[in-house]
Amino acid sequence: MSSRIQVLGAAALGGFGFWALASGTTLGSGFTGSLTTPHFGVDGLSAFFLGMLGLVAAPTLAFASRYFEPTRRGRANAILTVVFVLVLAEVLCARDPLTFLAGWELMSLLPAAIILISRSDDQARRTVFFYLAITHLAGAGTWVAVLLAAHAGALDSSGAVAQGSGLQIAIAVAALVGMGTKAGVMPMHSWLPRAHPIAPAPVSALMSGVMIKVAIYGLVRVLVDWLGVLPVWFGVLVLALGALSAVGGVVYALFQHDLKRLLAFHSIENVGIIVLGLGACLILRARGDDLWAAIALAAALLHTLNHAIFKSLLFLGAGAFERAAGSVALDRLGGLLRRLPWTGGAFLIGAAAIAGLPPLNGFSSEWVTLQALLHVPAAGHLGDGLAGALALAALAATAALAVLCFVKVIGLVLLGPPRTAAVAAATERPLPMRAAVGVLAAACVVLGAAPGLLLGSLVSLAPWPAVLPTSVGLHLPGTGSLPTLGIAAALVGITGVLALLRSRRAAALAPTWACGQLVEPALGWTSAGFTKPLRLVLEGVLRPERSIEVRTAGGIVQEVSYTGRVPQLLDEQVIAPAVQLTLAAAAQARRLQTGRLGTYVAYLIALVLVLLTAAKIGLVG
Amino acid sequence: MSALAIAVQLVGGFVLAPLLPGLVQHWKARLQGRRGPTPLQPYRELRRLWSKSSVDVEGAGLVYRLAPSVTAASLALAVLLVPVAARAPGLGVGRDVLALLGVLALGRFAMASASWDVANGFALMGASRDLTIAIFTDMTFVLAVAVAALVAHTTNLAAMIAGTAGTSAWSNPSLGLAAVAFALVIVAETGRQPVDNPDTHLELTMIHEGPLLEYAGRDLAFLQWTAAARHWIVLVLAAEIFLPHPASVWWQLAVLPFTLVVLCAGLALLETVTAKMRILLAPRLLAVGAAAALLGIVSWLVQIA
Repeated sequence: MSSRIQVLGAAALGGFGFWALASGTTLGSGFTGSLTTPHFGVDGLSAFFLGMLGLVAAPTLAFASRYFEPTRRGRANAILTVVFVLVLAEVLCARDPLTFLAGWELMSLLPAAIILISRSDDQARRTVFFYLAITHLAGAGTWVAVLLAAHAGALDSSGAVAQGSGLQIAIAVAALVGMGTKAGVMPMHSWLPRAHPIAPAPVSALMSGVMIKVAIYGLVRVLVDWLGVLPVWFGVLVLALGALSAVGGVVYALFQHDLKRLLAFHSIENVGIIVLGLGACLILRARGDDLWAAIALAAALLHTLNHAIFKSLLFLGAGAFERAAGSVALDRLGGLLRRLPWTGGAFLIGAAAIAGLPPLNGFSSEWVTLQALLHVPAAGHLGDGLAGALALAALAATAALAVLCFVKVIGLVLLGPPRTAAVAAATERPLPMRAAVGVLAAACVVLGAAPGLLLGSLVSLAPWPAVLPTSVGLHLPGTGSLPTLGIAAALVGITGVLALLRSRRAAALAPTWACGQLVEPALGWTSAGFTKPLRLVLEGVLRPERSIEVRTAGGIVQEVSYTGRVPQLLDEQVIAPAVQLTLAAAAQARRLQTGRLGTYVAYLIALVLVLLTAAKIGLVG
Repeated sequence: MSALAIAVQLVGGFVLAPLLPGLVQHWKARLQGRRGPTPLQPYRELRRLWSKSSVDVEGAGLVYRLAPSVTAASLALAVLLVPVAARAPGLGVGRDVLALLGVLALGRFAMASASWDVANGFALMGASRDLTIAIFTDMTFVLAVAVAALVAHTTNLAAMIAGTAGTSAWSNPSLGLAAVAFALVIVAETGRQPVDNPDTHLELTMIHEGPLLEYAGRDLAFLQWTAAARHWIVLVLAAEIFLPHPASVWWQLAVLPFTLVVLCAGLALLETVTAKMRILLAPRLLAVGAAAALLGIVSWLVQIA
């Protein structure tokens, strides 16, 4: 009963958000730099993100009602999940610096609490520590950015920070570091692929689906709303980070063999695509192309919504498979489409959507982003034009890499024979879980068929005047346009006709042809095997490690063991040495702390002596 | 006039497309001193396959059965997208060149998924190679069409044909550099040597043919038409955008058959004089194309700035 109220509440929140966005309603107070009393309000941008939150939270909470076991821990987590949703809404509605920052901190702490309640093993605790350390160290950037902007008066009036001033750059860089870390932008992403996979599935869905999008909300708020026009080079920097995240995220995702970890890396990729749109927006704004700057912003926001939908769908699907088959190791699943037709079918739609395939939603937002990136060189400036072209190539490569990755995922999870006995015995999940993924899959289809209904409102969210006529498809000036409904109708219609023609003639049943060999489960392809060609092509960049050990006895091979992995170069070459250096320095500093009273008295006497000497010489006082 | 352009687009893409690989095979045989099949051989094979029964693989499901239809539908959509002359009106699916990226990816996705469904190692080997090479093909494709889009100030294919027509567009080396890149895209997209060998019957070396292994009958007919349609799309793009072409729509339609025939002869010659390269070297070849297209963009930017 209570879960039904939660779902209805979340759905109402989503409905309100999209209604406020479409009607242009603003509620409550506007932004204020006041530090004394809390202020709340909703404008178009907040409304859009609230709509996204509701759209993801409603199915996620329905899913959670059956996912969490009715134990004390499970109930605690179910409650905290609802609180997490409320905190996310609070950040979006906050209209003064302290309310915003307080919500921001709670948003980081709640998933940590949920992870610690659901798992108490050593690895989980270590990961939570890592997550909190990184988000808080780099999260300082958020505090610096918001408080500096409030102090400068940027929250009260948008022209308060002088264009190109040192203050403007300082705020922008601090926001990029602080909020970029929270969003999982490379190279500040290290916490994300660790923390997202170990959270319970509904919380993973909310973290990847909404929490990192709230960080995007913060970035848009600071960079686009508060700071006015930023210099071109800053836009190029954002574009470069976006391209790095997009390509880096998907490349590392390819070499993951754990479904949830793979999905976490894909969040980095998609945040990269969003940041690419944001970077194009900043450059085009600086170059004076206001309409395309607004379209680029709308592309980023549209992809934000699309990713929120299909990523939460995929994480919930992973949770359902985990419950049904007992594992999310890619090489230990298989054949689940037949065993869980509803969940599996929805998961298939989500995978095709995230791979950017027509007629689903990922395709339309990637298309608008591609168009926005193409307009960066079209502005006709050499430096940023070249950056735009490189970003365009990076996005095209990212889309193709995502196709490779999600073919692997659906192949290993949904298709082929089951790999273990537990998978073979898997059965469909209860109705709330099926309905949750079904609703999200339907959203993928609807947004893929009619993205234009939303794009017009998103374009007018830009704080400068920009108007795009609303239509069902995407009709942008200077493009061949994307009538999504026509494309969907053509694809579905032609496929249907061809499938009908094919089924007119009876098909013969035959075994798989493997050159006369018997196809056995042991011959089944693995996650590592399918991505091997790419690993070999990118060997120079990724530096994969592999070792083969052969144990022989009396000239006869007894055992061959193979280990291979693709290391996270940034983690192992930069972060691990930095952590080690810090720990070594801390160990040195610890020698000062002996714990003996006499030593501390000696410290005090020494300090008094030093101060007295300094005063005598005239350094102090 | 626009009705004629639409008629050429539909008849050419749907009916005459199999003639293109037929011509390549015919001339390749001649160049190699064999008599070879007639250019109409693909039609004979389509007719033969149409009357045969398909094969349902044991244990495979809906994904396997639908994949050929989805792939053929995605290529049919691509045929509807790509016009043969300037000012050809849209057919309800738009005329955007960047939409082609997703549309062509859908076909690859469907076939590779089907390979997982039948769990055939040889099919998967081909699929994984196909998708790996596609990463670099897509990158090169997008940069090459970006040059043409920048020159023509639009991504509308019909307007791009108009914008790159005549001689003035060629006064800057950018289109020429994009043409080099697109030539490599043609080779990779049509699965020809040196990237892939369409004649191979050795499972270990297959790329595009790998995922086709299990199919027969009408399924295979769809897939063979798909391969032919892929020839049509990239060769039409090459003829109407990346090679010098006249500005008048009548002349564009008149010249198109000759350009296509010449391009087929070029592919036959290329297949005769080159050997298939190591699969892992194909990405490097395509990266060279991407670099050429990037240079084309720089050259265009220098002229504008």
